[in-house]
Amino acid sequence: MTQTLRFKQSSHLDPALSDPATRTLNADKLIGRWVNTNSETQGIAEIVIQRDGEEFCVSAAGVGADCPIAWPPTRARVLANLEEEAGQRAVALAATFEFGFMTAETYLRINKGVLVIVLFSTFRDGSGRSNYVNREFYYRQQ
Amino acid sequence: MQFTQICDWVDIDAASAGAIDRAGLIGAWVNSNPNTKGVARLLVAESKGDLSVRAYAIGPDGLIDWGTADVTVFGSSPASRVAAGFTCRYDFGFAETLLQGMILKGLIVLAQFHSFKDDSNRVAFFVREYFALDHGRF
Repeated sequence: MTQTLRFKQSSHLDPALSDPATRTLNADKLIGRWVNTNSETQGIAEIVIQRDGEEFCVSAAGVGADCPIAWPPTRARVLANLEEEAGQRAVALAATFEFGFMTAETYLRINKGVLVIVLFSTFRDGSGRSNYVNREFYYRQQ
Repeated sequence: MQFTQICDWVDIDAASAGAIDRAGLIGAWVNSNPNTKGVARLLVAESKGDLSVRAYAIGPDGLIDWGTADVTVFGSSPASRVAAGFTCRYDFGFAETLLQGMILKGLIVLAQFHSFKDDSNRVAFFVREYFALDHGRF
């Protein structure tokens, strides 16, 4: 029996979305310790991505005034990637870090061997700081 | 002031603290990929102080109007007062879509996160596409 799929755009009907292999395609390319390509960054210095079966966990270290600030490990959502990027298609991750005074929503993907992180920060502390978006690049620490 | 990265430790002048200038987001944005199977056009508009997005996506039989969604605006830094990105959410019942837009070199780079809530067993997926402002000058 065939199922009628509901959709809001044609890509919702892509047969690859029903292929279990799509869920974890090249996921291992994300695993490891990633270091910011910008040695002068004042943002996230490094990212660690770990995998346990089909689950992924992301932790980070922000640049602090005196020493790195550990961001707590957060479970990431795995997202199939329907794009072809230089023939290196791999899953992407979405992870939300909750700090109380601030929420950081991130998505992480691989592009040509570089980990690209886009971070949307939302402040909830009435400090007057603007919510902001930032993008940084990371290389794999061997 | 609390922070988890030193770039968030900024002096905020109370006189300058306030809303982000959203003018750079407003307009009709067109997908640069004529063969897209996703969002084709975004209309970003301001009404009575609120910013909203109306998305149109490619369907098998033509454009599908997603309707409007409220927008959260982001600057480029904690001290910035100029829009550099936005997020909005659509709940279609059978699926949810989060749109995250970021302005880069005059383009909106739109990341789309699609999650299915029905029993179709489709995997959540991610798409990133580029949108140019339909400025009508040339």
